[in-house]
Amino acid sequence: MSAHLSFDQAPPISVPLRFFLTAPLFGIAAGLLLAIDGGETLANRGHPFTLGLTHLIAAGFLLQVMAGALFQFVPVVTGGNVRRPQLVASLVHLGLGLGTPLLATAFFTLRPALFTAAVSLLAPGLLILVAIVGLALIGVSAQGDTLRALRAAVLSLLPTALLGATLALTLSGLVVSPVARVLEAHQAWALGGWALTLLAGVSWSVVPMFQITPPYPTALTRTFVPAMLTGLGLLSMGLLVSAPWADGLLLLGKALLLADAAAFAAMTLNLQARAKRKNSDSTRLFFRVAMICLLSFCVVGALLLATGGSTMTELPVALGILLLLGVFGAAVCGMLYKIVPFLVWLHLRSQLPKGVIPPNVNRMIPPVRTQRQFWLYLLGLALLLPSPWLPLAARAGGLCLALSCGLLLANLVGPVRIYRQHLRQHHNQFISQNCADGERPES
Amino acid sequence: MNQPLLIDGREMEPPEPFEATIAALDTLQPGEELTLLLNCQPHPLYQVLRRNGYVWTETWDDDGTNVIRIRLA
Repeated sequence: MSAHLSFDQAPPISVPLRFFLTAPLFGIAAGLLLAIDGGETLANRGHPFTLGLTHLIAAGFLLQVMAGALFQFVPVVTGGNVRRPQLVASLVHLGLGLGTPLLATAFFTLRPALFTAAVSLLAPGLLILVAIVGLALIGVSAQGDTLRALRAAVLSLLPTALLGATLALTLSGLVVSPVARVLEAHQAWALGGWALTLLAGVSWSVVPMFQITPPYPTALTRTFVPAMLTGLGLLSMGLLVSAPWADGLLLLGKALLLADAAAFAAMTLNLQARAKRKNSDSTRLFFRVAMICLLSFCVVGALLLATGGSTMTELPVALGILLLLGVFGAAVCGMLYKIVPFLVWLHLRSQLPKGVIPPNVNRMIPPVRTQRQFWLYLLGLALLLPSPWLPLAARAGGLCLALSCGLLLANLVGPVRIYRQHLRQHHNQFISQNCADGERPES
Repeated sequence: MNQPLLIDGREMEPPEPFEATIAALDTLQPGEELTLLLNCQPHPLYQVLRRNGYVWTETWDDDGTNVIRIRLA
């Protein structure tokens, strides 16, 4: 390694890792609850149990990974300066880590005080994340489509958090709000403005880098964010305004969002098909699943828009599973298998003595283990998708999800062990070498 | 022995291009130029270059190759 090159822009490894290693626990919890409780309640997306599970996945599993990725991505890829990363990460991790199970429990028990308690932890955690990471992104002088997407995603967390807090406080009885409209806006900002925009922005950089594909065309990378924000703006106005043309705005907004998402999904699949090296590693497979699910969601969504919707109460739940687990859950699993080994490699490079080569990134997690987790995840998804209509499938699907998230956690712990072992080994070598030479080791 | 001044990273698995580039920069002398061929924009590498006083240019070939020329500022 070069001793003179500074890797200082990367935060301490514990900053993102705490989020990455916590996230699968929420997936395990959601899966086990489904396996134990069964799927009868999944027939209705408004059922408290369904809402609780939704937030364990969305605010637990997915948000933990995305927050951790921001702490790593912003300084290392955009050069943004996230101030006091360890302190900020601790506060955000605490807020999300405690607030999410409280929120889920609030839904399961319908105790108003728990909704208030959850908001009092989640809201500050999210606001700190938005403020500190947002400031870091604003301070970056360079421009680029990834940076624009990250800014838009972080900005979208604000309405997501505010609308979510409004809903929780409505359920706690502290405020009054039009729940159905606020919920629709919250979902759109959370899934479109935050999660999908973040995924797209990160994909512009990491898909060509890690999956050895051609770059995304600028026609897509430059228009994605404006289209997303326009669609969300139209949708929000359509929900807020009481006027005869409000429905038209809502329809236009949804159509724009679906078209934007579909373009991203289709292009990613196209790029994967044109990859210079066609291997089927787990990241590629997970991403393929994510994009196929996203495209499917867009097609079904477009059909529903064109036909005026459906009266099936089960359909929104199935679409929610498709998005949360099929798109974002799969993408997140795939990303983690690249991010965590790369993190370990990067930090070992900067800490090991010159001439000591860190282990190969692609061998830190045996491929057979990631593939096992992938197939189990896919099986879980395949069982959960029809489960709103077939409650029996929910138990098996939940179990697969729990096991898959357990395997994910075990797979991610492997590189962390490698990191600790290498540091310990070289520290011990330093100690024994210096003691043999008769010198005192530095403390 | 000096590291090569041309690294073709197009067939390498990441982060081998990053690693090879860092190793080559160890021996890069003022006035010399390191050329890196990739199929993408290596943003993590750019941040390291920026923080360590290197400058670079990018030129995209018709076949989608990003020709990155790196030298000391």
